[in-house]
Amino acid sequence: MTLDIIIENSPTFILAIPLLFAFLTAVLGWVSEKIGEILFGIGLALTVFFVGVMSFEVLTAESWFYVFGAESPSPENITSFFRITFIADGFAVLATITISITAVAAGIYSYSFMKDESGLNKFYTLFLLTLAGVNGMVLTGDLFNLFVWFEVTSVASCALIAFKNYRGRSVEAALKYMVLSTVGGLVVLFSIGLLYGQHGVLNYALLREGIAGSFTFLDKLALGLLAVVFAMKASSVPMHMWAPDAYGEAPGSVTPFIAVTSLGSLFVLFRLFFGVFSVGLDVAILGSLLIVLGALSMIVGVSMALVQSDLKRLIAYLSVSQVGYMMTAIGVGLATLRSGEGFGDLAMQGGLFHMLNDGVYKALLFLSAVAVIHTTDIRSLNDLGGLAHKMPYTTFFFLFGALSIAGIPPTSGFSSKLLIYKSVYLYSPILAIIALVVSIITFAIVAKAFFNAFLGPDQSLMKRRISKPMLWGMGILTVVLIVFTLFPNVVVAEIVDPAVEGLIGSLEGGLP
Amino acid sequence: MSWDTVFMIMPYLTVVILLSIGLYAVLFKKNLIKIIMGIAIMQNGTNLFLVSLAYRDGYYAPIFTGAESTEMVMPTPHALTLTSIVIGLATTALLLSFTMMIKKHYNSINTEDMRRCKE
Repeated sequence: MTLDIIIENSPTFILAIPLLFAFLTAVLGWVSEKIGEILFGIGLALTVFFVGVMSFEVLTAESWFYVFGAESPSPENITSFFRITFIADGFAVLATITISITAVAAGIYSYSFMKDESGLNKFYTLFLLTLAGVNGMVLTGDLFNLFVWFEVTSVASCALIAFKNYRGRSVEAALKYMVLSTVGGLVVLFSIGLLYGQHGVLNYALLREGIAGSFTFLDKLALGLLAVVFAMKASSVPMHMWAPDAYGEAPGSVTPFIAVTSLGSLFVLFRLFFGVFSVGLDVAILGSLLIVLGALSMIVGVSMALVQSDLKRLIAYLSVSQVGYMMTAIGVGLATLRSGEGFGDLAMQGGLFHMLNDGVYKALLFLSAVAVIHTTDIRSLNDLGGLAHKMPYTTFFFLFGALSIAGIPPTSGFSSKLLIYKSVYLYSPILAIIALVVSIITFAIVAKAFFNAFLGPDQSLMKRRISKPMLWGMGILTVVLIVFTLFPNVVVAEIVDPAVEGLIGSLEGGLP
Repeated sequence: MSWDTVFMIMPYLTVVILLSIGLYAVLFKKNLIKIIMGIAIMQNGTNLFLVSLAYRDGYYAPIFTGAESTEMVMPTPHALTLTSIVIGLATTALLLSFTMMIKKHYNSINTEDMRRCKE
């Protein structure tokens, strides 16, 4: 009985726990910083526990609508259009799992990485708020909630980026990102106004029915504005300018977490494209839009990464180009699913598996790069060298992340990229060639970075040692990646396929 | 054009004017304070847009004791507007505090001096 209640209400707990503990950390952290630290750990662990509960239920039993404010949170009450709904389906599970893995690794890493800073309880508060915001964004089933969680994520993650406020560059990066996000948030609100004025509903499922009934120019405008804002937050070219600054200047331990908030926006973009946009607009056009943005992101991201000498900015540009892979794959899926050519499913599998992979190996790369910067205080690749002698573990972690991001055969990055190449080739060979070439250049870039930073004679650049929690943070990610590498078929069948079903289900009519 | 039409169009016209002023400030001004003012003006424009959407001539406020149940205004847009005002306060405060720190570090609030991330 109690178990049922916990399972049924797990989507709320995923948001309520981090919000509650963010507040507690801020208040009780005044008493002693130790308490704040412990509360942060408990909050993070409980959130991940409830993500696990929700995932287990969705993956083994069924997905469900969670309706707030109803007598019981069951889907019969969905028709009351002013209720807030959450969607707990395979797609949301994939998103929350990706977010949780990164959050746990970044959280453990922060314990020792940030311990020289002051005001740490505020750091933990912001971390938990960002976690709540990004989980809310991917779980929510109505537009207005989307706006609220969007803003929570923006405000909290910008404050996180500027946390080391004694560095002017951090504040500069945060300010740029904040101006973009605030204007983006207003555009989201404006388009929500347009859609509400037309159809009088905010819920995705009901809005879908409304758009199917009458589709006007104003709807088209509103959907276009929404797409632009979420593509911007997902750091897709040509709206990627904030990403290298924000990733490069954020405190090292949360950089992967900031990157995962933009992955969260990408999840929302796909959810909107499949669940809402696909009724009014032709799916082939929507798919081509994603493909064009994706191909541009791949090419521009990787060619900008080629000329970087700053280690963190280099990885930031690589992550922009990885976003391109997912957009291309999902775009191909969206464009061809209804034509019944069969490779649409494959493309979706590849794209979503790549998202899961990308969240993990990007975090591993960022964290190991940050470990290098932390121990040497050097960011430029030209000045680094010979670190493999003193940092064997970090060297291995970086190498593993680098091989995954380049898609070198045994790694899981290869499994997901192979699915993408295969399906994209059937859609258009040129796209597959672009994807392959970008992969090769990515390999060249990470190989250059690896050789410059880790190989060569020992130059005794190390100023301080890496502490255990930092290694554990990277170790968790490596273990996850090794599991993905050894059993890609299991991961695809158990986690990715339900997500694909969830997305296709929302394309074919109604959510879950 | 009758006065009724004018009164109906006027809020939307104001919205357009506010949004254009705000967007102009955000895009073309170099002073950070002016950019933040532009954002605040856009926020107000969006809020006004939501409130004018919700207006129905001759309908009651959605308070059950004072109205026929059929003639009440949907309160959703007002709830949206209130939330948006609160969020607007938070974002503006955060932006202004960033500006203070920028001034401390760079001794300037001109966007052209904010190029250090790329070095």
